[in-house]
Amino acid sequence: MSKKLLLAASAAVLLNMPPALAASDADLEVIKSEIQSMREAYESKIEQLERKVQTLEAQQTTTAQKVEKTQETVAANASSVPATAQRSIRDTSFNPAVGVIINGQYSNFSEEEADIAGFAIGEEAERGDEGFGLEHTELNFSANVDDKFRGSATIALHEHDGDTEVEIEEAFVATTALPAGLEVKAGRFFSELGYLNSHHSHADDFADRPLPNRVFLNGNYGDDGVQVSAVLPTSIYTEIGGGAFRGDDFPAGGADGNDIGAWTAYGRVGGDVGENTSWRLGLSTLQADGISRDGNEDLVNFSGDSSLYIADARAVYAPTGNNAEQEIIFQGEYFIRDEDGTYEDTDAGTGAINYDDSQSGWYAQSIYKFHPQWRVGARYSQLYAGDVPAGLVGSALDDGGHDPWAATAMVDWTNSEFSRIRAQFSREEVANDSDDNQFTLQYIMSLGAHGAHNY
Amino acid sequence: MVHIIIKGTKMKKLSLMIIGLGMLLASPMPAFAKVNIFACAPEWGALAKEIGGDKVDIYNASNANQDIHHMRAKPSLLAAMRKADLVICSGASLEIGWLPILLNKAGNNQVQDGGIGSIMASDYVPLLEVMQNVDRSMGHVHPEGNPHVHLDPNNIALVSKVIAERLSEIDSSHSSYYEARQSSFDENWAKAVTQWETQAANLRGANVVVYHKSWTYLLNWLGIQAVASLEPKPGIPPNASHLEKVLQDIQGKNIKGILIAPFENEKGAKWLSEKANIPIIKLPFTVGGNNQATDLKIMFDDTLNRLNNID
Repeated sequence: MSKKLLLAASAAVLLNMPPALAASDADLEVIKSEIQSMREAYESKIEQLERKVQTLEAQQTTTAQKVEKTQETVAANASSVPATAQRSIRDTSFNPAVGVIINGQYSNFSEEEADIAGFAIGEEAERGDEGFGLEHTELNFSANVDDKFRGSATIALHEHDGDTEVEIEEAFVATTALPAGLEVKAGRFFSELGYLNSHHSHADDFADRPLPNRVFLNGNYGDDGVQVSAVLPTSIYTEIGGGAFRGDDFPAGGADGNDIGAWTAYGRVGGDVGENTSWRLGLSTLQADGISRDGNEDLVNFSGDSSLYIADARAVYAPTGNNAEQEIIFQGEYFIRDEDGTYEDTDAGTGAINYDDSQSGWYAQSIYKFHPQWRVGARYSQLYAGDVPAGLVGSALDDGGHDPWAATAMVDWTNSEFSRIRAQFSREEVANDSDDNQFTLQYIMSLGAHGAHNY
Repeated sequence: MVHIIIKGTKMKKLSLMIIGLGMLLASPMPAFAKVNIFACAPEWGALAKEIGGDKVDIYNASNANQDIHHMRAKPSLLAAMRKADLVICSGASLEIGWLPILLNKAGNNQVQDGGIGSIMASDYVPLLEVMQNVDRSMGHVHPEGNPHVHLDPNNIALVSKVIAERLSEIDSSHSSYYEARQSSFDENWAKAVTQWETQAANLRGANVVVYHKSWTYLLNWLGIQAVASLEPKPGIPPNASHLEKVLQDIQGKNIKGILIAPFENEKGAKWLSEKANIPIIKLPFTVGGNNQATDLKIMFDDTLNRLNNID
């Protein structure tokens, strides 16, 4: 109120200023020259702006000409496309990104059979088919659902014993709008466990998964459930998360849906060393209690509690600082599984035998990209089965005193980001009497949507 | 009595925790903090610094030696994306291999596509080489248009305005600061552009060979023709038969030089340079692309000097 009064008063004073207070002639001259210099400054500025407008206009016409020219050539190249193609009649821009992966191979094995001694395994853990074959054919659809969710579905088609199987590998929605680094994922998806589990096999550096990922996770653990993760606001990368699942995918199994059948938890850190090296370390666990899991083509059953712990490490080094030219990757995972329950091998007729022991395994691999299109790689995998209870001697759980191992070497050629051809040789000694030399020629082609450059 | 006091402290602790958590969630950008900018490439980091001055912290996701398209969604990038208030990238699917992974994982709503904290430069400039019908047999083309937009300085000016607008919106207490810095940058930049254009007048109509279509905007701006590229198709590295073909194609044409970026392999260029007796012109491409190019203006100065010094 008082401020307003003050303002009004000062305004009144200003308005009533007598003309006698006006400037002298000398002052007037100063003001005149000031105005003159201001005018000059403005004029030069306006001139500058006019020049700018002219150049911009000229550029616009050249751009327009260019665009027109491109359109003309495109129209000429594709005669089936009408000239009005730039005006789309049916808008397809809201369609999800669609990608198809064609993953085929030719394999040759020296051994007729190759059963991994000491373990009851799932279907995906078995050696692939010999001869020509399609590994996985994958169809992926993904898009933002709206401003708060995204979704992705991956359907895999694969052959097993002459039958084509259709499998929903992943079908999930995830949040994009949560604060504080949080993400919630729901549906069926590959859990964050170790390094390889959350990756699709076509992105792998070898034609098959390492032995421990095959034996302990059946390739990938992908169950129905919910996973929550958080990237923490730390200077080095820190992420924690966990999930609750139905418990229906290997190494869980036999879920009746009444309860949470399995849960996971993980933590990871990562960062850079200098400008050319990056690294990541992680710990994770998968806990499946009260399960009934069939393995070895339903011949072996495990009932009880299964706890898997994984440590993973990865480092990527770009010798020239540019990973498009050269790159060296080191990667390894260590697995330990505690199982408490009963094993029954119906093939060996053991009956249900109490089992309380742990198995373990690890792999280490390195990939060297020495040319933008060429890479070589080597990998070693090793498994250790548990002690065999007396009742299981001679069954699938009996490793016969042999620790399964595999040594693998590969070379691949990447024409573009969308095609890769690989040759791989593996020596697998997975049982006492099994010295398997495996040769694989593989091609992985990606149609449609651009793939992700995962770490 | 004692029991009640304990209960009271517990309540106090709990309510303090709730308030703390509430504050943490409610104010992702407190007024006193600097604006965290995640720049996909050094040129955007440098431009953001011109506008943001000391009110911003810049994180450059890449350096000049890296081919941005082929980068991975590495852990350090994820940690930086988590804290970003503003993301500045080229867009037009240049960063498609890794940026979406970071955005999906980072749990940062503000910087999602279309959000206040997301600037894709190619959305704000006239794009060249926009394709109506594309097929992957044409190589790694970007149907939205060529994404390497920063090498036309007029595009830099356009993006600088967007950056100033966004900074003013995100950090409104310093909006006049950003606006003042932008207008003074704009003024200096316009002068520099005029100067570069005069300097490059004699380059108009010249022919060059490029490695990849990284130079489209620079060449379009200066009126220089790219008559051949060392890559047989975009994204496919040079090979002997294609280089042989380029050598045939450029016979009889007056070629000023072979343009190479710091992250592009020099091998093919060296071969062609010797065979055809034309010089290799190694340009900085972005800020930090050579020892001289320490900021945007010097980067363009250096680029024009190098183009001009070849005869």
